Amino acid sequence: MLEDQDMSVREAAAVVQDARARARKELVISAPLVYAAWGLVWLIGYGAMWLSVRGQHPYRGPSGLSIAAVFVLAGFAAAAVLVIASKAVAGIDGQSVRYRRIILATWATGYLILLIVQAAISGSVSTRTLAFVGFAGPLLLAGLTYILASALGRNWPAFALGGWLVLVAAACAWLAPGTMVAACALAGGGAFLLMSVIETGLRAHAR
Amino acid sequence: MPAETGLDPVIHGPARLRVMVTLATLRDGDNLSFTRLQELLGLTPGNLITHLRKLEDAGYVTTVKSGHGVNARTSVSLSHVGRKALDNYTAVLRQLLDSASTDGTSPHPGEAI
Repeated sequence: MLEDQDMSVREAAAVVQDARARARKELVISAPLVYAAWGLVWLIGYGAMWLSVRGQHPYRGPSGLSIAAVFVLAGFAAAAVLVIASKAVAGIDGQSVRYRRIILATWATGYLILLIVQAAISGSVSTRTLAFVGFAGPLLLAGLTYILASALGRNWPAFALGGWLVLVAAACAWLAPGTMVAACALAGGGAFLLMSVIETGLRAHAR
Repeated sequence: MPAETGLDPVIHGPARLRVMVTLATLRDGDNLSFTRLQELLGLTPGNLITHLRKLEDAGYVTTVKSGHGVNARTSVSLSHVGRKALDNYTAVLRQLLDSASTDGTSPHPGEAI
C-alpha cells in the first residue's frame, strides 16, 4: 500500500483520513490529558486546602499537609505533561517550538516571582492579601499564560479558558480566604476538567 | 487517470499522500526530522528519499540538512505551495466523492485512478 501505486478516489480518501488521524495522534500534544492533569491538581489540591481552612475562626491558613499535597500533585502533573509533550514534539523543530519554550519560561518565571513575593510580604500584610497572592495568584498566572499560548494557533478554547481563569482570579479579590480557595478549586479546577471534555469532543468531531 | 479527475499526480500516490498529510499537521514554520517522519510512515529510508525527492522537485516540500557526524539532522517541511496543493487535492477529492454519492455510483468503479 505504501509503494507508489495507483489508487481509487475512495482509497485516496481513506489514506488522507488515516494519515491525518495518525499524525494528529502522534504529533499533536494531547490537550484533553494536559487539561485533565491540571484540573485534578486544582480540584484535589486546592480542595484539600479548602477542607483544611474550612471553619477556621480566625483564618490561620491551610495546613502544611494540604500545601504539601498541592506541590506533590503539581509535581506529578508537570511530569506527566512533560512526558506527553516530549513524546509528541520529538523530531519537531521550528517557530512553534521556540514560542512554546518562551511561554513556558514566562510561566515558570512568573510563578517563581509569585513565591518570592509571597515570602517577602508574609509578615507585613493581612491574611486576606496573603491568601489572594497565594491562591488567586497562580490562577491569574495560569489564565494569562493560556491567553498568551492561544495566540500561537488561534486556539479559541484555550483563550476562553484563560479568560475565565483571569475572571475567577479577579473575583477572588472580593472573597474571604476560605471562599477564595474553594472558588479556585471549583471554578478553576472545574474549568480545566470541562475543557478536557470539550477538547475530547472537538477532536472526535474533527476526525 | 489523476490528470483527468483533476487530482494532482505528484501527490496522488499512497506514500506521497501520507507524507503530505503528515507534514500538513505541523504548524507553519515548523519542520519534522527525517527519522521521525520515517518512523511515522513505516517506510524504508531509500523509499522515503525517493518520494521526498519527487515532492521537492515539485516545490511541495523542503528538506534541510544541518549538523555533522552524530549531530547530523535532515528536517522536512511542507512549503506554502505544497500546503495549497494539498488543500486543492483534498477539495477535488471531496468533490469527486460528493458527486459519486449524488449519482449513487462508485467513483470510477473498478478503475484505479
